[in-house]
Amino acid sequence: MKQMEMLAMILAGGRGSRLKSLTSKIAKPAVSFGGRYRIIDFPLSNCANSGLDVVGVLTQYEPVFLSSYVSQGRYWGLDSRDSGVYAIAPREKADAELDVYKGTADAITQNIDFIDAYNPEYLLVLSGDHIYKMNYAKMLAYHKEHKSDATIAVIGVPMKEASRFGIMNADENDKIYEFQEKPEHPKSNLASMGIYIFTWKILRKLLLADAKNEESSHDFGKDIIPALMNAGRNVYAYRFKGYWKDVGTIDSLWEANMDLLDHSSELNLSDYSWRIYSEDPTDLPQYIGPDAEIDTAYITQGCRVDGKVVNSVLFTNAHVAEGAVVKDTVLMPGAKVGEGAKVTRALVANDVVIGKGAKIGSANSPEILLVDQDVKGVE
Amino acid sequence: MPRALGIVTPSGNNMKVHGMDFYRPISAFSFLGRYRIVDFPVSNMSNSDIEHIQVYVSQNPRSLAEHLGTGRTYNINSKRGRLQLLFNQDSKVNEIYNTDIRAFADNIDQIELASEPYVIISPGYMIFKEDYNDLLREHVASGADVTLLYHKVDNADKSFRNCRTIGLNRQKGIKSIGWNDGAIPEANIFMDTYVMTKELFLKLIRKAQKISSVYRLVDIINEENDELDIRGLSHKGYFNAITDFKSYYDANIEMLDFDKAKDLFTDEWPIYTVTTDSCPVRYAKGSKVKNSVVANGCIVEGTVENSIIGRGVEIRKGASVKNCVILGHAKIGEGAKLEHQVVDKWAKIINVKKLIATADNPGYIKRGDTL
Repeated sequence: MKQMEMLAMILAGGRGSRLKSLTSKIAKPAVSFGGRYRIIDFPLSNCANSGLDVVGVLTQYEPVFLSSYVSQGRYWGLDSRDSGVYAIAPREKADAELDVYKGTADAITQNIDFIDAYNPEYLLVLSGDHIYKMNYAKMLAYHKEHKSDATIAVIGVPMKEASRFGIMNADENDKIYEFQEKPEHPKSNLASMGIYIFTWKILRKLLLADAKNEESSHDFGKDIIPALMNAGRNVYAYRFKGYWKDVGTIDSLWEANMDLLDHSSELNLSDYSWRIYSEDPTDLPQYIGPDAEIDTAYITQGCRVDGKVVNSVLFTNAHVAEGAVVKDTVLMPGAKVGEGAKVTRALVANDVVIGKGAKIGSANSPEILLVDQDVKGVE
Repeated sequence: MPRALGIVTPSGNNMKVHGMDFYRPISAFSFLGRYRIVDFPVSNMSNSDIEHIQVYVSQNPRSLAEHLGTGRTYNINSKRGRLQLLFNQDSKVNEIYNTDIRAFADNIDQIELASEPYVIISPGYMIFKEDYNDLLREHVASGADVTLLYHKVDNADKSFRNCRTIGLNRQKGIKSIGWNDGAIPEANIFMDTYVMTKELFLKLIRKAQKISSVYRLVDIINEENDELDIRGLSHKGYFNAITDFKSYYDANIEMLDFDKAKDLFTDEWPIYTVTTDSCPVRYAKGSKVKNSVVANGCIVEGTVENSIIGRGVEIRKGASVKNCVILGHAKIGEGAKLEHQVVDKWAKIINVKKLIATADNPGYIKRGDTL
């Protein structure tokens, strides 16, 4: 095997409990998004498009479905000779009991053997929770150009929201001198995107030291990045411009889906040169019936529309029956809206059936209505 | 259960789809926005647990070769199974030599080497669903030498031109094989589908070659009818044949009838095709879409009615597409009005604002043309 330049590890163990029942059976990275995708298709497609070959996916919460999904490396073309996607859950070892990953850094530390087997020069650490398109090869070029030891992708956020993020304070050359986790009084608006490139040899030493430190929370942001700076290592911010969203709540998940309706949105999934890859369903193309009305919508394969769809996103196999009106709504895979039903400003979960004539949601609700149970029809 | 080698044959040289077949064989034609005709026989065989499939190509192999690949898309095991693309050698000399027998003869070692005792031969220009396990079981149980699949139709006077018909006696034995001359509506259209032992198949190939260099398999079967026990088996369910331009247009438009589509496409019998990872369709404000099938990757800003829209098609503001079959990646520019057209892949309708034809005589826009 050729010397590997960069290996990717995706942190995909989180539950995403603010997504309520959507993550009661599956991990957040496996949640459906954008009609035909799952959230983890974004980092995996970015890896494939950036020319990476091997991706480790670190699972923990509800790993069964997520593991079986990411194991299909062919979905992203990550299945050639030296390529693969490997789901890795916490494990029992000869010298250690079965234990959970104690932090983001610990998840990497516990799998140093996996990384060593590929002997990469650089390690890319990603989160499996975000919607964005990014060329990691460009970030690696930046890392090399700056003789950086750790490079952190950052995005400018509105100053008033900065206290929700991990904030990087950098000098005029974008060299980071301070990291603040969710600061009350942020000094800058450069938020960490949870995307790191490390020179592997340096990180490896630091991780082993951190593992022995009982004071440490074994977290990249809180422990590893500060330790690198304390050791006088070069830590640089890599400025990203473009669409990036943490779809951590029902409202933000709904909103990110709605962003797809806007042709001027930075999230353009129709760019053929940077496609987001996903599983390949065998369903028919979408059928738009003789009495259908569609005004501003994002609709995918397997859908059937006989009613009215306004400003909405329909996922694989969603159906809208005659006389039904679906407005400002996300219908997740297999959701069915019965004849004459009205759904407004809602996110309807997978396979939920809205009965005939039912009316749910309201145009001026402060929050998006999550519909995760079948709704009885009105006869 | 005995095993069979699956063979997908090209259309005969009497079948011409003017314009479209210049670029690819009928088996590689786009169907219903995202499929190709060859997806039907290959998916049927794969779903019937046939692990070794040979697809014969007589012309322009590029699009089929790219589409079929290793067969992984079709659920064929990449180690145990095999999807072969086979070519015939001298089709350039004169088209009349371009027969299925010639194709088989040119690759006869590939047929001899196959370990399966039976062959199931099915065409790459017909659309139907068939469980070849059932077909093989019935063939073996009947004790016949050859079983032919046919479909009883009541529109042979209007459709299925250039197809063969079969006459049956009371015991479902084949009385005769003839041409559909369109004289009467009721006919048993021969589905170009055969079951027999590999041994008999090889014998027939050799015999046909000795009799005539332009014989097709159907000709030698017809000639051997007195010597062999040849029987017909009736096919039920959706059936169509692409034998000319009009039948191609009609077969696509017919799929707008959702009940017909549901008969052909069921969850238990998936029709596989190659993914292009196209994103969902974006319908802009002001778009009007009715009674249409739209494949992924499209951008719709204008009006679409009674049409089949292929992957990655753009229909811009004020454009109107009615009763059309638009193939992948075509662009219909602002304000263009199209009725009863087949627009081939990558074509752009930008300068011409009106293309109107009729259902009886639909128009055709060439691949990659800019109008």
